[in-house]
Amino acid sequence: MGIFKKLVSWGQKKSPWIIHFNAGACNGCDIEFIDSLTPKYDIERIGILQHGSPRHADILICTGAVTLQTRDRLIQIYEQMASPKYVIAVGTCACTGGIFNGCYCVMGGIDTTIPVDVYLPGCAVRPEAVIDAIDKLLNSNDKDKTKKKAKSDKQKEVSEESNEEKSDEQ
Amino acid sequence: MSDNSSNRIVIPLGPQHPALKEPGSFTLTLEGEKVVNAVIGIGYNHRGLEKALESRTYIQNLYMIERICGICSHTHSVAYCQAIEEMCGVEIPMRAKYIRVIIAELERLHSHLLWLGVAAHEIGFDTLFMYAWRDREMVLDMLAELCGNRVNYGINTLGGVRRDIDDNDAHEIKKILRVLHNQISYYLELATNEPTLIARLADVGKLNHDDALKFGAVGPVARAAGIANDVRKIEPYAAYDEVPVNVITDDHGDVLGRTLVRVKEMLESISIIRYCLDNLPAGEILAKVPRKVPAGEMISRTEAPRGENIHYINSDGSDIPYRIRVRAPSEANWHGMKHMLEGSFLADVPIAIAAIDPCYSCTDRAIFVNSDNGESRLYDWKGLREYSIKWHRDRGLNIADIQIPMAKNYIQIQRKTND
Amino acid sequence: MNNEEIIVSKIFDRFEFARDKIHVQKRLRIISDPFSREEFEQIIEYLHDELGFKIAHHIVGIDYGEDLGFIYMLGNDEHIIFALKEKVSKENPEINSMTKYYPSLLMHELELVDLFGAIVKDLPDVPSYPLPDGWPKGNHPMRKDWNPAYFDHKTMTYNPPAKEVKEDEKQ
Repeated sequence: MGIFKKLVSWGQKKSPWIIHFNAGACNGCDIEFIDSLTPKYDIERIGILQHGSPRHADILICTGAVTLQTRDRLIQIYEQMASPKYVIAVGTCACTGGIFNGCYCVMGGIDTTIPVDVYLPGCAVRPEAVIDAIDKLLNSNDKDKTKKKAKSDKQKEVSEESNEEKSDEQ
Repeated sequence: MSDNSSNRIVIPLGPQHPALKEPGSFTLTLEGEKVVNAVIGIGYNHRGLEKALESRTYIQNLYMIERICGICSHTHSVAYCQAIEEMCGVEIPMRAKYIRVIIAELERLHSHLLWLGVAAHEIGFDTLFMYAWRDREMVLDMLAELCGNRVNYGINTLGGVRRDIDDNDAHEIKKILRVLHNQISYYLELATNEPTLIARLADVGKLNHDDALKFGAVGPVARAAGIANDVRKIEPYAAYDEVPVNVITDDHGDVLGRTLVRVKEMLESISIIRYCLDNLPAGEILAKVPRKVPAGEMISRTEAPRGENIHYINSDGSDIPYRIRVRAPSEANWHGMKHMLEGSFLADVPIAIAAIDPCYSCTDRAIFVNSDNGESRLYDWKGLREYSIKWHRDRGLNIADIQIPMAKNYIQIQRKTND
Repeated sequence: MNNEEIIVSKIFDRFEFARDKIHVQKRLRIISDPFSREEFEQIIEYLHDELGFKIAHHIVGIDYGEDLGFIYMLGNDEHIIFALKEKVSKENPEINSMTKYYPSLLMHELELVDLFGAIVKDLPDVPSYPLPDGWPKGNHPMRKDWNPAYFDHKTMTYNPPAKEVKEDEKQ
């Protein structure tokens, strides 16, 4: 397993696949993210591929404050992704809820719903920043971190389950 | 009829179109490959913004209003500002009005180029998608130079604008506009002469003149159906009463018409920006607006890149608005959408939806449910798009094979600009 | 006399009760005072059938405190915006659906139901809009007495402090 995980980590570092999800953003961060796919920035040239299906993706790029209607969908997408998986919260709204914090249909930042690995503030973020965030994430993704990450993922799942059990009991 | 109805397939498409401003769900009923019924639902991105506007001061709201939409943020803030300026009886300086027009037209350029790319992507013409988005970067560079930000420019404030344009900026912008003009003329040539593109876009998503009037279509959708509906001409706001504006109309009434209208509008925008830069009046850029707005109500409208944008503002005399209601242009175009989808082929659905400019990349799944045996298949938007491209390829339309060269002199001009 | 004034005078000639309740604000803007439900329906029918206001832009809901107001933004071929207002009491916020004249208003009427708690008669059986699934019933966020600070997003419940509830009961 150790070798396999190393292999996965090594492979992910070379070519991570990303999926983009708008949890209730104003579109500003979304168009800037799409911009990073197009010729001027072109993250595909460094091996980063955007993909439509969460099951194939390694990194979830999530924009916008989480609205009540998208919350379940966001959790669903996160659960569908194969581990090890990473989440980048793109934009101020995704980090903290930003200007929409306190609106009646807004939960807050992405971390109110799913665990976040990289916070990328900015309104709207620039495409360079998106590339930098992915780069930072990959560089922190060495073998030790991967192990820790996998462990903490498991722990999170366990703790979530236990929480659910507790709430059921209550 | 009974045979047909047993073959009917219901497709829920959406509800989340994650890249949209207004995500919508489409439930399509099919007979064979034809859509016979379309039900559209929206509201998945409801954040409760209008309630939040009622708890913030007018100047705080300005920043919130800009974030209604990241693509057409300027047009919303113009509509909001001019309503409040009128309620306060403040006449803003002419130079500020001209700067508002320049930014508005730059925004139109970026939005239409964005749309052109997305529409090209939906029909499988990715070369044009990349070209259009590359050219869009030039517009964003100009916006960043003038406003300091690429999206959500923050240039408007109550009483005028926050940044001035100096001669050096004007000179730089004119240089970039030359390259852009060259590129857009080339797209126009492509859209009017390339037979494959015309065959793919013509007669798709039809909305004729009468229907467009009936469903209250706005913006390029209405203008492509021959209705000269343009707020810049009907009710000139900012400096549009002094700037020559030609309303572009087209009588195709389909996606081809909408493409032509948008591409021609980009050329028109460039000439408006040039006129404004040449005739920029001297003087102040900011007038003083009181913190408290007199009691009353105001309906203000602007021409967003997607159409008519209406703001209603009700003040009770305090520094916090009593009620603000925003009618975004896409809200008006949803109604015609149903009519456009019904009777069209499933393969044309992505481009028909994209043609009113509500969305461009949807990572959500569509569930195909066969009502006969309850069999269901999962498709995401990408799958539907691929199905659509394949469907047309089987019928001899291969968009991906179009070889388009770079516009002539593109590299030379860009080199000159860089020098 | 310009177009706007002609339209207003036509309404005054037809409906005596509307006299001085409708005024031209400026070019392309006609704004009315709030009408009762019956009066409103007569005027909107007249506007649609005879004065050529065939477009409905949207409806603005307003909480006037005691009453709920609904502003119908109508448009015609000359691009005039006619803001026709209707007022109903909060105790019985019942209005008729105007989708028979303007099918495009359906979405906006659904919005009034969800956000303002209006009771719209003759609405087709369609899913609610725009509040999310699982939203607690009887909570209408755009009403002035509804404060988002008391809304718990996790449990989807509205918990106003006890003091306010008592005051409401006294009233």
